[in-house]
Amino acid sequence: MEEIRNKVEQLLLKTQKPARYIGGEHGSVVKDKSKVDVRFAFCFPDVYDVGMSHLGMKILYGLKNAVPNFWCERVFMPEKDFEALMRENDIPLYALESLDPIRDFDFIGFTLQYELSFTNVLEMLDLAGLPVYAKDRKGLMPIVVGGGPCVCNPEPIAAFFDLFILGEGEEVNLELMHLYERMKPHNPSKEEFLREAAKIEGIYVPQFYDVEYNEDGTVASITPNVPEAKPKIKKRVIPDFDHAYYPDSFVVPFTGIVHDRVVVEVLRGCIRGCRFCQAGFIYRPFREKNIDTIANETKTLCEQTGYEQVSLSSLSTSDHTKIIELLTRLSDYTDKENINLSLPSLRIDTMSKEIVDRLAAVRKSGLTFAPEAGTQRLRDVINKNITEEEIMRTCRLAFSEGYQAVKLYFMLGLPDETDEDIEGIADLAQKVVDLYYETPKNLRGKSVQVSVSCATFVPKPFTPFEFEPQATPEQIKHRQGHLLDCIKSKKIKISYHQMNVSILEGVLARGDRRLADTIYCAWKKGCTLDSWDEHFRFDLWQEAFEECHTDTAFYANRRRSYEEVAPWSHLDYLVSHEFFVRENKKAHEGKTTRNCAEGCSGCGIKKECGGVYCG
Amino acid sequence: MFTVAEMLQPKNQNLRLTKYEYRLVFEKTGRAKYISHLDLMRCFQRAFKRAGIPLWYTQGFNPHAYLMFPLALSLGTDSSVEILDIALTEQLPFDELRDKMNTSMPEGLRIVSAGEPVMKHTEIVFAEYEVDFSVKGQTGDETARCFSDFLSQEKIEVEKRSKKRGANLVDIKPHINLLSISSEGEYARVSLRLPAGSEFNLNTNVVFEAFEAFFGGRIDMIYTKRTKILTRSLENFI
Ligand code: SF4
Repeated sequence: MEEIRNKVEQLLLKTQKPARYIGGEHGSVVKDKSKVDVRFAFCFPDVYDVGMSHLGMKILYGLKNAVPNFWCERVFMPEKDFEALMRENDIPLYALESLDPIRDFDFIGFTLQYELSFTNVLEMLDLAGLPVYAKDRKGLMPIVVGGGPCVCNPEPIAAFFDLFILGEGEEVNLELMHLYERMKPHNPSKEEFLREAAKIEGIYVPQFYDVEYNEDGTVASITPNVPEAKPKIKKRVIPDFDHAYYPDSFVVPFTGIVHDRVVVEVLRGCIRGCRFCQAGFIYRPFREKNIDTIANETKTLCEQTGYEQVSLSSLSTSDHTKIIELLTRLSDYTDKENINLSLPSLRIDTMSKEIVDRLAAVRKSGLTFAPEAGTQRLRDVINKNITEEEIMRTCRLAFSEGYQAVKLYFMLGLPDETDEDIEGIADLAQKVVDLYYETPKNLRGKSVQVSVSCATFVPKPFTPFEFEPQATPEQIKHRQGHLLDCIKSKKIKISYHQMNVSILEGVLARGDRRLADTIYCAWKKGCTLDSWDEHFRFDLWQEAFEECHTDTAFYANRRRSYEEVAPWSHLDYLVSHEFFVRENKKAHEGKTTRNCAEGCSGCGIKKECGGVYCG
Repeated sequence: MFTVAEMLQPKNQNLRLTKYEYRLVFEKTGRAKYISHLDLMRCFQRAFKRAGIPLWYTQGFNPHAYLMFPLALSLGTDSSVEILDIALTEQLPFDELRDKMNTSMPEGLRIVSAGEPVMKHTEIVFAEYEVDFSVKGQTGDETARCFSDFLSQEKIEVEKRSKKRGANLVDIKPHINLLSISSEGEYARVSLRLPAGSEFNLNTNVVFEAFEAFFGGRIDMIYTKRTKILTRSLENFI
């Protein structure tokens, strides 16, 4: 829209990195409006640099735009400086391709990757000039849709959305848009449309469910209030992952973003079953792409983007059944084309000597382990399959190759954690330092740095720890202090994540519908961009908790019984409740569960979902 | 996990020794005018890669592609006379180089011509600009007159900051060469010749900030276009 464009252009020079607000990147899709029937504003509720790095957005952007009469455009959260300029100059939130205001679109879709982006959703709706509560948006369009991992418990933000998409979006997004395309000419009401949409598997329309509460505040029941709404909504899975849609084109940004490279998804799901990890359960089952598919996608995207770096994406790349063959094949290509191949989350103990050598030749910097817990006992509780011996073995190899820095990731506040486990963190870090000094001088690097990074554990829905109380701020403070007391060497550096962030995350992750007003209140007070340290205002959140009578301990620090009706119990991520209960019990007994590759543990996923090891 | 976020770097990056140098003239307009100088480098590098045009890499420990913009363009300024110097590992006919590149360029960036570098970068001494601007509540005519008044001052002092000397005042008046002035509707239009290049560079935004300070108000809309890059003897830089 010309008017927006003129206004925006005059403001761009007053803002940081203006290229983020004007579009026009190579690979962005601009269509002829007169030939488009359904317009979708794909909103990432965080700033451009973060959102543009997100793989899911690239997939769905390509997928929707591959349909000739659908047009999907990108929208990001502006930084505070530009947001203020937009408001001062009456510029509504617009999409980057057409520069049209998104309030006129058919769909506004948000991908919900982390709880701390919730207030950004409200901010973006408001900037668009729309009422934030779904009940106040009366017309058919825009339909406000949410997807992504946080949708496994969308209850705290349900009031702001018309519908949610559960699970993988490749098929269901198109089904939804085709339904809309068919119905739109008949001018249906929003409710008529939503009733039809509710029939599609994987689509959850929150207004079609009534929630009752017990006297103690827990959920008593969640019941459908229209015939189209199913009692349980199942997440969607793409069983034939090898043939799943993958984009042949990426938008190549002008400004630097977090992950500025080609990304190829090599596998989906995870075999490991770490009990704290939500991703490990909600993306089940484990499926992988053939080497040919991966190699072709890599080549296509490198050619289309001109990137000189490609990265493999997965929860655990080493678990690809043909990992060595895959790396050999890919490095042949990247070598020839002068492209860097980056390999996050790779277990180097499984790698051939040749590959380790080549890795070591590059930069002797980043060796990263995530033992998550300080003792074997606690690692068994969380089912983190890593032993001290394995860490030492890898470090020994790495130190003798000249590596100088080791990063160790831990969580504090895990279930059944004691002071001994905290001491275990310090011991382990010390052992790594000692190992460096045991490495012959002629082999090892100049010095050593062991960084210990401690996050606070946040229990998440659809994990065996969904029943667990989150450690209280006092407990966490005590453990942080204790850890500091135990560290003796100057070679060890400790860092903590902000505790207040984890508290908020804990409340939102397992919250219910009554939190909507609290979120609204916090947003009204000015909370946005909560995931950014410089913008996070816990004091305002606390005010909101108080004003809305929200008992944070009720949501975060309470043990929940196995029988309690969870706010998300009408949603089905295909892993059974019984499995989570079984795993929770085993956790408290300190018993591990084998990974899917070693043998199926019967988590409830059906063979038809296409899992490599299922059934 | 035992993970390394490491990269497998290509083995054979340093092996190409012959280089062929080219000078490209390109256009930067529309949305592309908000690409910063640094980002532009990366953007071109990727465009070359997409076009399958083999850039020559500097030799040594940390090889990088040879790409050079002899004169920076301010963010937000349109231009169709921008210069990019490159080196390739292969020889390509000029037209082919231009056409191949133009198939892989983002909106607003276009190669106008390719040729051999003739002059040295230090020969750049001036640049010319065309600026359309408006002030709220004023006709273009009034704004143009105001700009003439601005230029007829004895001195136009602006603050210049440098790391060595801190802030000091510089008189830019002798450096502003007004080539023409006119108006149309709400807009005033001026053509300016300003010093450019490594010796002394004066950007239009410095001039227009001084103008705002002079009349004590704010420019509402402004569109700036670089029209020429010139040598001391006012020849086009080639
Ligand atoms: S069904 Fe078995 S193999 Fe499949 S994801 Fe569940 S535990 Fe793993």
